[in-house]
Amino acid sequence: MINNRSLLVVGGLAAIAWLASNSLYVVDETQRAVKLRFGEVIEEDIQPGLHVKVPITQTIRTFDTRVLTLDTDPSRYLTLEQKAVIVDSYVQWQVINPTRYYEATSGDELQAVRLIQPRVDESLRNEFGRLNLQQIISEKRDDLMSGPTNDLNALMRDELGVAILDIRVKRIDLPQDVSSAVYDRMRSERERQAREWRAQGQEESERIRANADRRRSVLLAQARARSETLRGEGDAEAAAIFSEAYGKDEEFFSFWRSLDAYRQSFQGDGNMLVLDPSSDFFQYLKSPTQVDD
Amino acid sequence: MAWNEPGGGNQHDPWSGGGRGGNDGGKGGGNQGPPDLDEALKKFQDKLNNMLGGRGGKRGGTGGKGGGGKPRNAFTLPGLLIVVALAIWAASGFYLVDQSERGVVLRFGKFQEVVTPGLQWNPPLIDDVRMVNVTRVRSLTQTQSMLTQDENIVSVEISAQYQVADPRSYVLNVRNPELSLENALDSALRHVVGGTDMIDILTSGREILGSSVNSRLQSYLDSYGTGILLQTLNVESTAPPDPVQDAFDDVIRAREDRQRTINQALAYANAVIPAAQGQAQRLVEQGQGYRESVVAEAEGQASRFNALLTQYQDAPAIMRERLYLDTMSEVYGETAKVMVDVSENSPLMVLPLDRLGSGTSGASGQAGDDESLDPRVLERLGASQSSSRNSSNSNSSNGIRREGRQ
Repeated sequence: MINNRSLLVVGGLAAIAWLASNSLYVVDETQRAVKLRFGEVIEEDIQPGLHVKVPITQTIRTFDTRVLTLDTDPSRYLTLEQKAVIVDSYVQWQVINPTRYYEATSGDELQAVRLIQPRVDESLRNEFGRLNLQQIISEKRDDLMSGPTNDLNALMRDELGVAILDIRVKRIDLPQDVSSAVYDRMRSERERQAREWRAQGQEESERIRANADRRRSVLLAQARARSETLRGEGDAEAAAIFSEAYGKDEEFFSFWRSLDAYRQSFQGDGNMLVLDPSSDFFQYLKSPTQVDD
Repeated sequence: MAWNEPGGGNQHDPWSGGGRGGNDGGKGGGNQGPPDLDEALKKFQDKLNNMLGGRGGKRGGTGGKGGGGKPRNAFTLPGLLIVVALAIWAASGFYLVDQSERGVVLRFGKFQEVVTPGLQWNPPLIDDVRMVNVTRVRSLTQTQSMLTQDENIVSVEISAQYQVADPRSYVLNVRNPELSLENALDSALRHVVGGTDMIDILTSGREILGSSVNSRLQSYLDSYGTGILLQTLNVESTAPPDPVQDAFDDVIRAREDRQRTINQALAYANAVIPAAQGQAQRLVEQGQGYRESVVAEAEGQASRFNALLTQYQDAPAIMRERLYLDTMSEVYGETAKVMVDVSENSPLMVLPLDRLGSGTSGASGQAGDDESLDPRVLERLGASQSSSRNSSNSNSSNGIRREGRQ
């Protein structure tokens, strides 16, 4: 009896628990939900909190309504001047209309991504085709993104119940072969710069050296001129002194200088004189008698 | 689990799955206490049964037990269990929030509040608390190569330090805030670099680069509602890509080379000019020296001449004779002599030619100005003088030997 009664209690409690779990449901703050009756939506956009449903007949589908990041695969686009670029972008998107979203994708996020990605790809392709590389890289990035974002946003709201919050381009790279061309160009620019520096150095160096050499030549030439002048002055003074002195008696001067010259001429060994004993010098060699001049 | 919570049908369920992690003390007590109690009660009942002579039989398992005929037992046991379960449930609602954390509380999934540090209580199973660290500075570093405005490629390393500023947004708005941050950082950086020339990025523009990336990135993050606040954003390094690194280094080397070449030239100039000045000074001094010595010599000779002249004017003939004899004796005294009496018409005369040729001309070349040689000094003297004057002297051995002697 007692056993039966307690079994009944336990069974009752279990039944209550089951009923509660099938008629109460919680929608998290990060989610929105739709209520379905046999697959038909009967309540839309259920807000977070504790809610009640009829068991068995009604089911609840919840969707993550946080901002989601879709990182697209890098793809190759052509710019206005037909240059190829490899572009990597990402999309921030969010479910804003759970009913629409459920209808379009049955709540499958992968399915949603499969629908969004080609659209993003296509609008970027169009956008890139309208601009040249310079514009894409530099000043146009904001414009580049805002157009497609707005268009896609409107479109996706209607089609998928999804808001496209942001499309951002990350990488814009050149293909491998073009990259190496860019490297070559950069290298050649640097080489040119390096050569310029070195040439400037040479030029400056030459200038300095030439200037130094010029100054040296000038200095030496001036010095030589000064030196010659001094020598000339010396010679002139000496000549003046001589002429002043020797002018007093020219005949005696030439006599005296000649004697001096003979003395100078016969300095050293190895001279031989062949003498005639009848010369004046030897007059007394023959006889000591007085001669008449 | 949650739905079984009040159920007495599975007593262990509330204890094993009763609370979130975080208050094990209460749970431990729950796991240990009730079985002991159970055991004790069972033994007590069995004793009673035995005493009463009832069928002694152990039944395993849990669940509601038939009391041994005493309704008090049957009533108290489930009641006791419920009380204990409630106590455990309540106890497991306590938790500590650390100074560095905030808790985002969701009540039945709906946002309730953000709890601050301290001891907190929230009803378990009804409230869900998600902890976020808000003071730890997280960092993210990226190195990428990218295009610049002038279509060059640079490689930039950037690091961002960030904090969770708004825990509610961080937890609830964005599924993967870090991934969003990474993507946004990448995009913002490339955007700014794409609007700058390479040379600016590599040299002066780093700080500007950092600050503009910072403001741009923060605006992205705010628009996504990530709840992330950037603390600092550093451009760690900017470098040309590896394939052209050498060329860039070479530019730096070239600049050094330029400076070095110029320095060498300056050094050369600094060496040459003073040397030239010294040389110039030497030349001038030589000139000056020549001048002074020539003048001095002239003065000496003039005064000597003047002195002689004074004597000569007193007695010219004697003076001449004496000077002449002095000179000749000096000349003849140093020179080899051959006397030849040509007036006697001697038929034969042999000159000692070996002695004539062996000597060098001793004339030192300092021939005076326009000497008129005494005619009694013979041609040999003239020949020796001309050999010292004319470089076109055939007797080269003489010249060489003369050099050797002097």
